[in-house]
Formats: sequence, structure tokens, C-alpha cells
Amino acid sequence: MRQTLLGALGIALFLVLWEVIGRLQLASISWPPLSDVLVMLADPDRRPLFQRAIGATLESTALGYLWGTTAGLLLAALAHLLPVMRRGSDRLAAVLNSVPSIALGPIFLVVLTRESTPAAVSSIHVFFIVFVSVSSGLQRATPAHRDLFSVLGADRLRRFARLELPAALPALASGLRLAWPAALIGAIIGEWFGAPRGIGILIINAMQNFQIVLLWCAVLLAVGSSLLFYGLLTLLERTAYARFS
Amino acid sequence: MDAASDMSARRPLLVRLIEDYWGILLLLIAWQLWVVANSFNPIVMPTPVAVLGDLVSYPGVYLRNVSITLAVAVFGLVAGMAVGTGLAIVAWFSPIASGLLNPLTVLFSSVPVVALIPVIARLLGYDTSTVLAIVVIITFFPSFVFASSGLRSPPPGSEDLFRVLGASRLSLLQRLALPSAMPNLAIAFKLAAAHAILAAMVAEFLMGTSGLGYLFAKTKADFQTEQAFGASAVATVISAAAFLAAGWVERRVRERYS
Repeated sequence: MRQTLLGALGIALFLVLWEVIGRLQLASISWPPLSDVLVMLADPDRRPLFQRAIGATLESTALGYLWGTTAGLLLAALAHLLPVMRRGSDRLAAVLNSVPSIALGPIFLVVLTRESTPAAVSSIHVFFIVFVSVSSGLQRATPAHRDLFSVLGADRLRRFARLELPAALPALASGLRLAWPAALIGAIIGEWFGAPRGIGILIINAMQNFQIVLLWCAVLLAVGSSLLFYGLLTLLERTAYARFS
Repeated sequence: MDAASDMSARRPLLVRLIEDYWGILLLLIAWQLWVVANSFNPIVMPTPVAVLGDLVSYPGVYLRNVSITLAVAVFGLVAGMAVGTGLAIVAWFSPIASGLLNPLTVLFSSVPVVALIPVIARLLGYDTSTVLAIVVIITFFPSFVFASSGLRSPPPGSEDLFRVLGASRLSLLQRLALPSAMPNLAIAFKLAAAHAILAAMVAEFLMGTSGLGYLFAKTKADFQTEQAFGASAVATVISAAAFLAAGWVERRVRERYS
């Protein structure tokens, strides 16, 4: 109770500080008061702009999230079932994750279209997180359980489907939670390479044209949608842990 | 683990190379074949061989920019982790500070930080010190979150033992809380190390100051695509190396402290 109150107080202090610094222009003219940002966000004239931008970005993020999760799951399962592929897939994932996102953009621009580049960049981020968490989750089944399955005559695939995959679900849920902000970052960066609309476009235009309040609005939208989905995925994670571990 | 590494030492070199790097080799071969088959203009998409050629021909350009990005990333990483750990210790001493700070940092650590880079750039101006500040901020959050939870989770019962023996708060920190936070700090280090280089690159790319991100932006705009890909390749190798090295440090710390 005390912790919750203090936490709420901390967040309130942060918001008040933001407002005061902006009002008194303590930082610079690039720090607008919170109320100005909120007023612009609520402005009905701007609503279509914001809705189009966040809609496009969320669509790319969701697509990239889906592709990345599928690819990460498949490679982790492959490396688990064929241990000879293990070391190579670890290294492939580590290297793919180390390619700077700004370099992924131009590559996908050639392979795909301007519209699907954000989703593709986002899928690379998601792929790595899901691959790493599922790989470690698949090893979580206890040796005793494994022996039991062998004794009862389960083959490799059945043991995978009935024992190891369910045991990996909590780790997958943690990975899915951590992957959402990463997916959003991927989509935003991907949009910098010629996407027709999106939060990333809004951010870059506002930054270059010195539309400070608009810039903060766009960032706040990105942050808000990230937190919303992160919260929902945290609930999913709790359910997975309660049921499968 | 030992048995596995024994086995890997006995495998012939070629088999080891293929087993360890089949994915990366496949990717590079597919890239080369794909560019040749489509006969892309090198301005649009160079082959990996051409990129390698550029790397070998102009080592000076790469070296200069790599050293800038690397210096910013390392300083930023060290400073960010120091501030994060320091603040976690303050929060450990004061329940009020920790109550105020904890939800805020949890909130911030789930925020897409790259989205904040344009805001920070506008606030602090377009120069290298801003890139440094961005790396500090990005590495601060994981350090604070992991250090706080590490400081708070010593082995069960050990804190009572220290209390019973009359240990002061300070020696409790030195002898118990900090050592038991080390594995967590190592995880934060691993997460932050690869991130530091990539964040520095995005910041350099956006602000056009100096370093690998700037080299990428400039050569891309000048249609020197081979050099742009060269810059990306160098950044990839460095951040993969940082990730592997940090993983090694993390394993060492975990074995030593837990």
C-alpha cells in the first residue's frame, strides 16, 4: 500500500516537474510543458493525423511481431531437435541482432516494398528475443521428466510436443513481453526509409522542422502504445507462469 | 560443458567452421548469388565481396569513425552503469527514494528508447556530447532495474544473520547486498553492451555528427553504397563481439558470485 502510494507520488512528481520545467523554460525551448503537449494530442483537428500515424505503425509492429515470433520459434525448435545445428543458429541469431537497424532499412527496401520495410526491421528485433528465450526455455524440462517420457516409449517429436514445448511457454511469454518495445523501435526506424506514414515519419519530420510540441506528441504516442501492450503482455506472462511452471 | 568443448577441439577445422557458422555463411552466399543473379547496380545493392574490397581499400576512414563510435559507446556504457548502480544503492538505503523511483524506472525501461533520441537531440544540441548522453541514458535503465532487484535479493536468511551479528547498514551493503547483486549487474552489462554501440550509431545517423552512424548516413546519401554497407558490417562485427565478450564476462561473474 505504502509502496503503491509512493510510486504514484513519484510519477506525479515527475509529471509536475515536466510541466514546471516547460512553463518556466528551465531546460530550453525544446522542452514544452506537459499541458501544451496534451492539449495538442487532444486537438480534434489533429486527430486524423495521429490516428493514421499510430495505426500504420501499430500495423507494421504487429506484422513484424508475428513474423519475428514465427521465425524465432522455428529456428529455436530446429536447433533443439537437431543439436548439430545449435552452435550455428546461435551465432546466426547473434549476428543478425548485431546488424544496426539503420542498415537493415536500406536492405529491406531493395528486397521488399517501402510499406513492408518497417515490419521487416521490426521482425528482426523480435526474432532474436524470441529465439533466445525459447532456446533457453526448451531446456527447462527436468531430466526426470525426460526419462519418464523415454521409458514410456515417447519418440523425440512427441517428447518435444508434449513435454519440452509446454515447459518453454513461460520463457516464450517473457520473450514476447520484452519483444514488444523492441518491435515498436524496429517499426519506427524502418519507417525512416521512405514509409508513406507512421509515428517514425511524424517524429523525424517534427524533429527536422522544429515542431517541438508535435515531436513530443509523437513520442508520447509511441511510448503510450508501447506501455499499453507491454502491460497486456505482462498479464499474459503471469498466466503462462501460473499455468506452466 | 567441458565434455562438449573437448569434443569441439577434436573436430576437424572445416567441420567446426561449418557447424559454428553455417547460418552466417549461408546468408553471405545467398546475398552474393542474389545480387549477381539480379545484376543489381552496386549503388542499389553491392555484393559482400565488393563490401569487403572497400573495407580493405580504405582502412583509414573506417578506423577513424570506428574509434569515435567505440569511444562514445564505452564511455557512455561505463557512465550509464555507474549512475544506474549508484542510484540503485541510494534507493537501497532509502525506502522512500526507492518507492518514488521504482515505478518510474520500470515504466521507462519498457519505453522504446530510440523514440526518445530525437527529443534528447533537440534538447541538448546536435553534437558528439549528445550522442554520449543518449548512450548514458539508454544504459542507465537496465543497470538501475537489475541492480535494484539484485541488491534486494540476497540468499534467504543471510540478511537476518547479518542483523543478528550486529552488522551496520554499510557493511551489509558491502559484504552482502553488493556481492549478491553482481550476477544481476552482469546481465545488465550484457544487455547494455551491444545496445550501447547500436544506440550510438542511431544517434550519429540522425544528428550527422561523426562516427560510424554518420559515415553510414553520409555515404548512403552520396551513393557510395559499398562504404555504407562497409560501415554497417564493421558495426555488426563490433556489436556481435561486444555481445559475446559481455556474455563471457557474465558467465564468469555468475560462477564467481553465485
